[in-house]
Amino acid sequence: MHFGGLYEDEIVGKAYDRRLMARFLRYVAPYRKLAVVVLAILPLAAGAKLAQPWLMKLAIDNHLIKGEMTGLPLLATGFLGLILAESLLTFAEVWLLQHMGQKVMFDLRMELFSHLQRLPVRFFDRTPTGSLVTRLTSDVEVLGEMFAAGIITVVGDIMVLAGIVGIMLWMNLKLSLVTFSVLPVLVWIAFTFRKRMRTAYRQVRARLANLNSFLNESIHGMAVVQLFNRQKTEQQEFTRLNADYRDANLPVITWDASLYAMVEALSSVAIGLIVWYGGGEIVRGNLSFGALVAFIQYIEKFFSPIRDLSSKYSVMQGAMAALERIFHLLDTEKDEMGTDLISTHQNRSVPISTIDFRDVWFAYNNDDYVLKGLNLTLRRGEKVAMVGETGGGKTTVTRLLSRFYEVSRGSIAIDGTDIRELSLHGLRRRIGVVLQDPFLFTGTIRFNISLGNPGAESRVEVAARIVGADRFIRRLPLGFDEEVREKGSNLSAGERQLISFARAVAFDPEILVLDEATASVDTASERLIQEGLKGLMAGRTTLVVAHRLSTIRDADRIVVIHRGEKVEEGSHEELMAQQGLYYRLYQLQFRD
Amino acid sequence: MLGALWLAGTNAFALAIPWLLKLAIEGLQRPATAQHAPSYYALMIITAALLQGIIRIFSRTTLLHAGRRIEFALREELYARLLTLDLPYFQRERTGDILSRFSNDLTNIRMLMGFGVLNVINTLILYIAAIVLMLRLSPILTICALLPFPVTILVVKRLSATMYRRSIRAQEELARLTSRAEESVSAAVVVRAYCREEGETDSFRTVSSSYLDSNMQMARLRGMMIPIMAATGAMGTLIILFIGGSRVISGELTLGDFVAFNGYLAMLVWPTLMLGWILNLMQRGAASMARLNGVLNARPTVTEPAAPADVGEIGGEIEFRNLSFSYAADSAMVLQNISLLIGKGTKIGIVGAIGSGKSTLARLIPRLYPVPDETILIDGTDINCLPLARLRDAIGFVPQESFLFSRTIGDNIAFGRDGAGEEEIAAAARVASLDQDIERFPAGLQTLVGERGVTLSGGQKQRVSIARALLKDPQILILDDPLSAVDARTEEAILRDLESYYAGRTVLIVSHRLSAVRGCDTIIVLDQGRIVEQGSHGELLALNGRYAAIHREQQLREEIERF
Ligand SMILES: Nc1ncnc2c1ncn2[C@@H]1O[C@H](COP(=O)(O)OP(=O)(O)OP(=O)(O)O)[C@@H](O)[C@H]1O
Ligand SMILES: Nc1ncnc2c1ncn2[C@@H]1O[C@H](COP(=O)(O)OP(=O)(O)OP(=O)(O)O)[C@@H](O)[C@H]1O
Ligand SMILES: [Mg+2]
Ligand SMILES: [Mg+2]
Repeated sequence: MHFGGLYEDEIVGKAYDRRLMARFLRYVAPYRKLAVVVLAILPLAAGAKLAQPWLMKLAIDNHLIKGEMTGLPLLATGFLGLILAESLLTFAEVWLLQHMGQKVMFDLRMELFSHLQRLPVRFFDRTPTGSLVTRLTSDVEVLGEMFAAGIITVVGDIMVLAGIVGIMLWMNLKLSLVTFSVLPVLVWIAFTFRKRMRTAYRQVRARLANLNSFLNESIHGMAVVQLFNRQKTEQQEFTRLNADYRDANLPVITWDASLYAMVEALSSVAIGLIVWYGGGEIVRGNLSFGALVAFIQYIEKFFSPIRDLSSKYSVMQGAMAALERIFHLLDTEKDEMGTDLISTHQNRSVPISTIDFRDVWFAYNNDDYVLKGLNLTLRRGEKVAMVGETGGGKTTVTRLLSRFYEVSRGSIAIDGTDIRELSLHGLRRRIGVVLQDPFLFTGTIRFNISLGNPGAESRVEVAARIVGADRFIRRLPLGFDEEVREKGSNLSAGERQLISFARAVAFDPEILVLDEATASVDTASERLIQEGLKGLMAGRTTLVVAHRLSTIRDADRIVVIHRGEKVEEGSHEELMAQQGLYYRLYQLQFRD
Repeated sequence: MLGALWLAGTNAFALAIPWLLKLAIEGLQRPATAQHAPSYYALMIITAALLQGIIRIFSRTTLLHAGRRIEFALREELYARLLTLDLPYFQRERTGDILSRFSNDLTNIRMLMGFGVLNVINTLILYIAAIVLMLRLSPILTICALLPFPVTILVVKRLSATMYRRSIRAQEELARLTSRAEESVSAAVVVRAYCREEGETDSFRTVSSSYLDSNMQMARLRGMMIPIMAATGAMGTLIILFIGGSRVISGELTLGDFVAFNGYLAMLVWPTLMLGWILNLMQRGAASMARLNGVLNARPTVTEPAAPADVGEIGGEIEFRNLSFSYAADSAMVLQNISLLIGKGTKIGIVGAIGSGKSTLARLIPRLYPVPDETILIDGTDINCLPLARLRDAIGFVPQESFLFSRTIGDNIAFGRDGAGEEEIAAAARVASLDQDIERFPAGLQTLVGERGVTLSGGQKQRVSIARALLKDPQILILDDPLSAVDARTEEAILRDLESYYAGRTVLIVSHRLSAVRGCDTIIVLDQGRIVEQGSHGELLALNGRYAAIHREQQLREEIERF
């Protein structure tokens, strides 16, 4: 079985190829000093290492052969010193590199995260949580692997390579050319492999994201899976995604192994060629025997950095594929936060007097209009209720007011200013929303009400009392400091809703938006809330969405929304007199 | 195994090529005595090189593929385990933590299984070869040269222990980071509504920083491990210089042997370095394995019965016998002394204040939480003795909070029954009054819903969840506040349609609105986990207790509103 849908993460890439490295270097740039230090250490460490055989040679030539012990201890001390130096330098190198890598990862991760905080709500409608989590964790971790593999040493390798090529050319042009004849093969291999590896890695990253999205959903929906005895089918689907992920990885391994093996083989082939050609030259007397032996040794040295490079090649391609995904997300358009620090609309002393919905059209997808030409005015101190059939568009209206989504046509204006011209924070700070689906964070109840906002913190207990949440909170062993588990799973649905209600109240907003805020609350609690809110709502504008008509009995105006259109508007009495949709709903609810 | 064989092959060729080269050079040195022309050796070398290359491809792919296959199998096993774990487990653990185990911890283990094993084999082969060669030259020198190794092993052991602890910490930090990321992404709307973007970023920075710190500590350890290993090799050389040197001078050792010996010792340097790296992998792998074992060894408290009762068709009579329940051993009782008999085919309504235990009672019937023995019986059999699948198959459950999967609406409705036909799905949707909504969607039943159903309205989600339970065609239907998000007209329609659907089924319906329960045969009123009233709508009104008070309240409003 194949569920398709959201588990199919897009495969990004291609377009990024060229600019990728350059863009990544910008993240390394702040640590260029570290990079320079590492690069400086590299030759030192190499020197300390290479000097050891040299000291050994001295010891053999000057002491062992001559049978002279004096001076040997000195040499030995020098040797010891070199060992120490090499160890320390290697330590510094490894550590600095990792340090740098970790810092870069940290920066990138933070940038990704704060970018996510600026993405529009719409983005989250279609992107699975698991996929985003993968971006923030695994995809960034892959970059760490690149640093751990010593990516900086690539620079060193290339320099060494250039040096050796120079020496070889200088030593013997012909022999060099024979050696380098294998290079085109190498370049060709590297090139074709790069393409294939990158493609394969893109698959790998996308499939890992799919796997995580599925898993994340599975964990959240485990109760449903078990209640419906779906374990087998879910396991099958998981196996499919898991196998997809595994199979995406296998070719990468094969490419990597082939590259590595081919470089090894080519180095031996080069030696073979030299023996062939050089042997002939010696026979013909064009080449000295010593030169040939020396040259063979250089070939070994020539291939050593290439081998090094090839072993990092695959890690690098993997990192590039991850970078593509990271940059792709970073390039997703952010919400324009706006900057009206001109404070008229941040300033509490200038209260909002009217909110106008003017001919608002809105569609979530294409032109599938959910709201069709809605006109609505909210005045200061008014309580306006929206009622209507489920799926009619009530929640959508509240979302547009907070600018979670932008209207498609028409406008929403606060005191004549289009809300698109206000800063998002300026707007949202003035609106307290109780969402239809309450969301609680892990943390204490206190934190869940105040969300760490200093102003709200001082009002936590008052707010809890107003909505009648304090009754159950006080019954808890730790009261307001009781821990809430992930998504509030250790509270009842009604309790969660009250906390989320208290949150809106604690933020002391000018506009209160209650979207089915008491749907899971019993009648007695509901009455308490209504009484508590009475005082609070004086002077504030309230927009209430409710199916239980009893909650809206004292609304100044009731708006009936039907399939995205306002079909009736007026006070309870007026609407009852009209005998329209509201009347029918009302009759149904209170028939007896 | 095959991989090891391939590896041995590669290494054999690796040794053969220098030997061929040596022959070739000797041949060139004394062309007169040479057995073959240089071109012959060149050909041999090239052939050997190509063969070696091919074998190397096989050896690496075999081993590294094995690593991936092990990862795959482990992941399968982990998921299979998750599927058996119960709600108490998932409420204890954080989702991000589990996600992290599935990806980051598995990665560590794969690295160990793939690269680690590859290099362990390589290293071992090289070690054995070098030591054998060294022993042949001079046993005493060999022992001397290897002297620093035990010391190193001791030091490394200490380091490893620290590394293990740090690794565990780093993995835990990563899990915390994952959890934070997961929560923050799920909370996107709330974060925006309350302008908490900065706060979220700060709290993410905190977890990121502590992850950074523990990684830095790891880096320092790793940085130490490698030079320590390198130094060990070099110390060996130093010892040889001294002892071997004096032996050469005293004539006990030829210079040639001395040089050769040094050469072999040099062969050990690289694998020794490798060893340091492998040790690092091993510690990380072990730490991660411990975390995976945390999942693999977790056992559900809701278990299959040891001796399943032999029952036929489940009829649907439910009995609560003095049921008391608390979510944790040390926490307050949520349900107390609940005793109630629900006859087959009866409808029972449950009302009560928030937090009074209604959902808890409903959740215990399908054993989402562990139920004490002999407290809930179905058709007279303790539910703890029924096979879990049988029990749950007989129950259609609409949870208070609808959870939908990010699949099509059709798939969501057909969740409980594989291969349900379009007809059946449509019928279930009709009973749940969802048909008109579906008709309005351009893609109809094929409409894809977002994660947790975010692209549907509250009432639509709830009705999909109802349709999903109905399609299962269960003997027992449990509806936990199933109409809280729908309007009066839809509620009326659903209740009417359900009425005919109910026939012969046992129905348990929780609601805050009396309209949903007033038609029930029996209604119970819960208060702080106890049944305080029980009877039919009429009886409870006559009793003039809490139920009547709720009723009056809802009526009273009507009165007020009439004027
Ligand atoms: N994020 C979304 N993406 C796409 N479509 C959506 C999204 N949210 C809602 N819709 C669709 O828009 C329509 C209106 O939804 P809305 O949530 O505004 O209804 P509502 O009046 O609040 O209903 P309810 O009373 O059930 O909560 C529905 O048909 C719904 O399927
Ligand atoms: N998983 C849990 N762990 C610990 N305590 C819990 C858990 N679930 C619920 N509780 C607590 O148990 C009590 C009863 O919860 P329950 O969900 O049964 O209430 P309810 O009657 O369904 O309320 P509501 O009308 O709000 O849905 C509450 O006080 C709640 O805080
Ligand atoms: Mg809604
Ligand atoms: Mg409940």
